[in-house]
Amino acid sequence: MEFVDAKTLSGKDLNVILKDRLGKGLDVTVKNSHSMHNIGTGMKEKGKIVVDGSTGFYTGGFLEGPSIEVLGDAGWYAGDNMMSGELIIRKNAGCNAGSYLYDGTIVIYGGTGNRPGYGMKGGTLLICGDAGGWAGQMTLGGRLIILGKVAAGLGESIYKGVIYVKDREAESKLGSNCFVDDLTGEEITSLNDLFGKYGVDQEAAELRAVRPMTTGRHNYVLFDPQLEPEKARKYNPFQG
Amino acid sequence: MSEVIDNTTTKKPARGKDVQRGIWNAQTIAEVRYKAENGKHRIRGCGATRELPTFDDLIILPGQMTRMTIDTYREKCDTRTVLGKRHATKPLVLETPIMIAGMSYGALSREAKIAMAKATAMTGTVISNGEGGLLPEERENSYRQSIQILPSRLGFSRRSLEAADMLEYLVGIGAKPGLSGHLMGAKITEEVAAMRQLPVGIDLHSHPRHGDAFGADDLMVKMDQLRELTNGETPIFIKIAAARVRDDVKIAVKTGVDGIILDGMQGGTGAAPVMASENLGIPTMPALVQAVKTLEEMGVKDEVSLIISGGIRDGADMAKALAIGADAVAIGTGAMVAMGCSVCLNCQAGRCAAGIGTQDPEQRKNLIIDEAAERVANYIRGMTAEAMLLAKAAGKTKLKNLEREDLRSLTLESCAMTGIPLVGSNYTFGTPFGFC
Repeated sequence: MEFVDAKTLSGKDLNVILKDRLGKGLDVTVKNSHSMHNIGTGMKEKGKIVVDGSTGFYTGGFLEGPSIEVLGDAGWYAGDNMMSGELIIRKNAGCNAGSYLYDGTIVIYGGTGNRPGYGMKGGTLLICGDAGGWAGQMTLGGRLIILGKVAAGLGESIYKGVIYVKDREAESKLGSNCFVDDLTGEEITSLNDLFGKYGVDQEAAELRAVRPMTTGRHNYVLFDPQLEPEKARKYNPFQG
Repeated sequence: MSEVIDNTTTKKPARGKDVQRGIWNAQTIAEVRYKAENGKHRIRGCGATRELPTFDDLIILPGQMTRMTIDTYREKCDTRTVLGKRHATKPLVLETPIMIAGMSYGALSREAKIAMAKATAMTGTVISNGEGGLLPEERENSYRQSIQILPSRLGFSRRSLEAADMLEYLVGIGAKPGLSGHLMGAKITEEVAAMRQLPVGIDLHSHPRHGDAFGADDLMVKMDQLRELTNGETPIFIKIAAARVRDDVKIAVKTGVDGIILDGMQGGTGAAPVMASENLGIPTMPALVQAVKTLEEMGVKDEVSLIISGGIRDGADMAKALAIGADAVAIGTGAMVAMGCSVCLNCQAGRCAAGIGTQDPEQRKNLIIDEAAERVANYIRGMTAEAMLLAKAAGKTKLKNLEREDLRSLTLESCAMTGIPLVGSNYTFGTPFGFC
């Protein structure tokens, strides 16, 4: 394992060094990452990068090959547009983790902000902690797994793919155009394999699946405004 | 007492229906009836149809005693155009400053996309893929390929970046600024759905905002990412609809882009709420003026390329846009008309007899790719020739040498809007634009 001190490096310079080391078949640990943006952008080389600290925005964006492990927290948009490989975040991730994820695996051992998996198209995004609102919004494929609490807008306008949740209150937090369903045996097996691989103590049979409907918002009808004369009649203009 | 009709003459009494109805014209009535019947707003193709200021409100001053004209038929006028050289190491070199704007495969047929791509190869220019991915045949046939990075990222991946000669980070389009893409179910066939990863036949209202850049600060970091991914070679543009042009352009420049595509209110689309097309944004000509002024104020006019789109029809529009300060124009509806589109405004329905705005296999047969490609190429050649004719008459040996001093406003409105002096005077009403 090689060590790279990023204290005086720019994100771009660090990535040049990382590519060089991975290209030579060396795994690398990055010290003093000081929440740098764009670590690991688009790397195609195989191998492992460990970031001994926290990262800024776009960690592992468009990643296509290596495994990146962040021992601290990751900023917004971790693993955006990721193509393949692995991004492991040991603590928490900011908003929009895994947005437009194409393929590969992202594992976040802590929680995330809003909109994890926004528009994701494939791959796996596993969030072991809580997730903010609008998780899996407009998902086009892949699987999003949330083992902690979920917030409002879950699965809003999901087109394809599936969101697995443990939160028993998930049904009351659903966005539009999706429904809660049971897991198939195949899904349970596949998820248990995933949990085993990443050392996550969870039984897949305890989860429920949020799946897309092909009607509703996917037909051109207006959902707003919902005009409710009865509520207007009871509204007190002085108290709100 | 009832009205007595005089049967001895042919003269009929005036009736209510014969009187002009002011704002209650046929279009207004049709829109009210549509809402009354359906409880929703109407979706329509092509964009705004209302009267808006256009480049027709400007004229070009020919050279006479003050400058020599250039021979229309015997002397050259250079049209070669370089775009996106601010930071990118491989800027775009085009033979004519006419780009084919982003129109998606899905909104348009496969045949239409291929024909337009072929036209760019015949004329040495660039085509943008639009939303929904890149048809391999488009890339194979295009001279230069622009790839849009849209909020939906439908059909987009890292492979798209690698196919690009130019990137467009799309924030908005002139026909429906502030709204996301629409593609109605009739056009989401199995083929289109597969490319976009969508269920077949749904009415698509695509993603409203970029999920990987919530605001300009994030976009600055995103630009670094895109530069790294493209090895700093590919020019990166940002496409914005004309709105708060001054502020939007300043922010766009600060994100570090190589150029800006500014889409005015007359921009076309395959489907948009009529309300949006007719009421959102500002027209192309005043938007361009504001953008140029802003780039000049920032001192980056020579380094940031500016492409203007939205209702560009002919060489006169192009020449006037270049004179104001654009580096190139983008055409959309014009290219479709060249292929046979009649601007019926019904693109959203997917029933296009010309085989352009349809996915119907039978209707698609009506578009013969090579013939359509030749027509679009001819249109681009003809537009270029028109602009050259005007430029030479104004004494220019290069299209890019057209300048504001070559223009005059025909109306008080265009004068006040552009800051270009009114014909017959050297007076400007409002803020003068660079000279007086």
